[in-house]
Amino acid sequence: MASLAEKLLLHIADEGHHSSAKVTVVGTGQVGMAAAFSMMTQGIISELALVDMVESKLKGEMMDLQHGQAFLRTVKVVASTDYAVSKGSKICVVTAGARQNEGETRLQLVQKNVQIFKHIIPNLVKHSPNCILVIVSNPVDILTYIAWKLSGLPRNRVIGSGTMLDSSRFRFQISERLHIAPQSCHGYVIGEHGDSSVAVWSGVNVAGTRLRDILPNIGEKEDPENWEQIHKDVINGAYEIIKLKGYTSWAIGIMVSTLCNAILKNQRTVYALSTLATGYHGITDEVFLSLPVVVGENGITSIFNQMLSESEAAKVLASAKTLHEVIKGIQL
Amino acid sequence: MMSSSSLAAALLSSVVEEHHHSSAKVTVVGTGQVGMAAAFAMVTQGIVSELALIDMVETKLRGEMMDLQHGQAFLRTVKVQASTDYAVSKGSKICVVTAGARQNEGESRLALVQRNVEIFRTMIPQLVKYSPDTILVIVSNPVDILTYVAWKLSGLPRNRVFGSGTMLDSSRFRFLISERLNIAPQSCHGYIIGEHGDSSVAVWSSVNVAGTRLADIKSNIGKPDDPENWEQVHRDVVSSAYEIIKLKGYTSWAIGIMVSTLCNAIMKNQRMIYTLSTLAQGFHGITEEVFLSLPVVIGEGGITSILNQNLSADEARKISESAKTLHQVVIGVKI
Repeated sequence: MASLAEKLLLHIADEGHHSSAKVTVVGTGQVGMAAAFSMMTQGIISELALVDMVESKLKGEMMDLQHGQAFLRTVKVVASTDYAVSKGSKICVVTAGARQNEGETRLQLVQKNVQIFKHIIPNLVKHSPNCILVIVSNPVDILTYIAWKLSGLPRNRVIGSGTMLDSSRFRFQISERLHIAPQSCHGYVIGEHGDSSVAVWSGVNVAGTRLRDILPNIGEKEDPENWEQIHKDVINGAYEIIKLKGYTSWAIGIMVSTLCNAILKNQRTVYALSTLATGYHGITDEVFLSLPVVVGENGITSIFNQMLSESEAAKVLASAKTLHEVIKGIQL
Repeated sequence: MMSSSSLAAALLSSVVEEHHHSSAKVTVVGTGQVGMAAAFAMVTQGIVSELALIDMVETKLRGEMMDLQHGQAFLRTVKVQASTDYAVSKGSKICVVTAGARQNEGESRLALVQRNVEIFRTMIPQLVKYSPDTILVIVSNPVDILTYVAWKLSGLPRNRVFGSGTMLDSSRFRFLISERLNIAPQSCHGYIIGEHGDSSVAVWSSVNVAGTRLADIKSNIGKPDDPENWEQVHRDVVSSAYEIIKLKGYTSWAIGIMVSTLCNAIMKNQRMIYTLSTLAQGFHGITEEVFLSLPVVIGEGGITSILNQNLSADEARKISESAKTLHQVVIGVKI
């Protein structure tokens, strides 16, 4: 006897199975789930795959996301410890790895996460050979380099979240001082996502007016308004939030979702992201660090020839050397 | 040359004092998994202009506030404040209460009651003091009991105090039906009413797709003699929260989206129909003063109408029993 479904719906053609906007998130910790939730509430994907190592957690997270579906544009949510679930992803976001502990620097996490990546990266590429890899796990610049090496993908398709979030925090702090919206305060933090990041004060502007034209020593030691404190607050931002609430999630979640949207919609927005920086600002080593880049459906398609002051360029070069020292010591 | 005047003063020429009236301010009390998922959903969906977070631990509050603020450059700006002092909630259009002990694995919602009543005694009057025109949305469990308690403690009219109730149950119900029919949840219409808990009622008599009632195709749908066992869908809804808690430790995302959707409906005066926990006296033979979920019309005035839903005799009986179960607990609660 025909089931209710068969009586209700007359089947005329097979359901399509090609997901045009599928994203896989590896790692269902606070960062991965905030990114997943943000992508869903903003309606930027058609299919979401979650991958991690603990089945019960995966199933719980998947069910919790599915149960909100009636209130959102439907998104197919699948979850598995098996990477086959990631098949056909446009973007694979990697958040898996040990979480940064209070007081621990990002560089101290390295070797632990390299081992994890040896398992993750080849599996993702196997099931989605045309995907774009977005690396979020820390230390992000090192791990994006590692992911690039392990993936065999061209450099435009392996992107690290880098200083995209630092730049957002930077703009937020500037906006608090000027009492206008963060979206109207323009500025970049580049280089290492970490202690040696570089605040490009020479380019910080509001409505095209450079703050440096009003306050020539902005961000420098002699600056009476101590704007460089903002940059220090950005570097400490993550550590401070971890101390207060145990981890960070919301800001990085929104950042990942914004980046994925830019890729999926081929927006060609300029963000500071971790990319192969050899040849820029005097960098000769093979390192990944953040520079302003153009990002779209083919990943990073252009790097900005950003004008830096002498001291800013020197700092970026120093940042590159710091990263290179760490990379040399890693066993791949 | 810069003198004592700041860069800001040099950059921006003030025309008039900044406006401080927030037309779309929401306060969330409780920064646990539920409260923060609701806050994050509201922020990413751009439905609030100002968000206030209240809880009892200052460090956690500050950390959550900073984490939300740091994503601002990617979103429409939302002013985020946080404090242990209820004054921060001043001028809220909506106050969402998620604070309270979390439901433990195996614990029924009713077992949480008296613990949460004590918390509400401090909280509710303060929210009303700082936002006398606000709408109170109660999410803390057991939601039907606590919405009743909140109503009593607030002194607000019944249209402005309601509970999340079975709005989420109905969403889960529609999702599970959609899985069986392989169509979108938004196109599967059905309601769960009554207690947000073990005695909730699935209104199988009116579950429909494109106006076609499933009960017209399958007369025993949802009944014990149904060979396709559609009532399993309802049982799965009732046990959903317990199951997710067992798997991941708590629930957050679905209830977060639900709260955000509800707040948006209020803010935008949408007049959507959702099943929410409201004063049910007078409906379906209910004589007791209890709150339980019925389909209601929701807008900026809160609940402005209750749907005179057609129930089968069996469904009406079940909801009457649901009311009695809740009333038994309510009469035992010290407010």
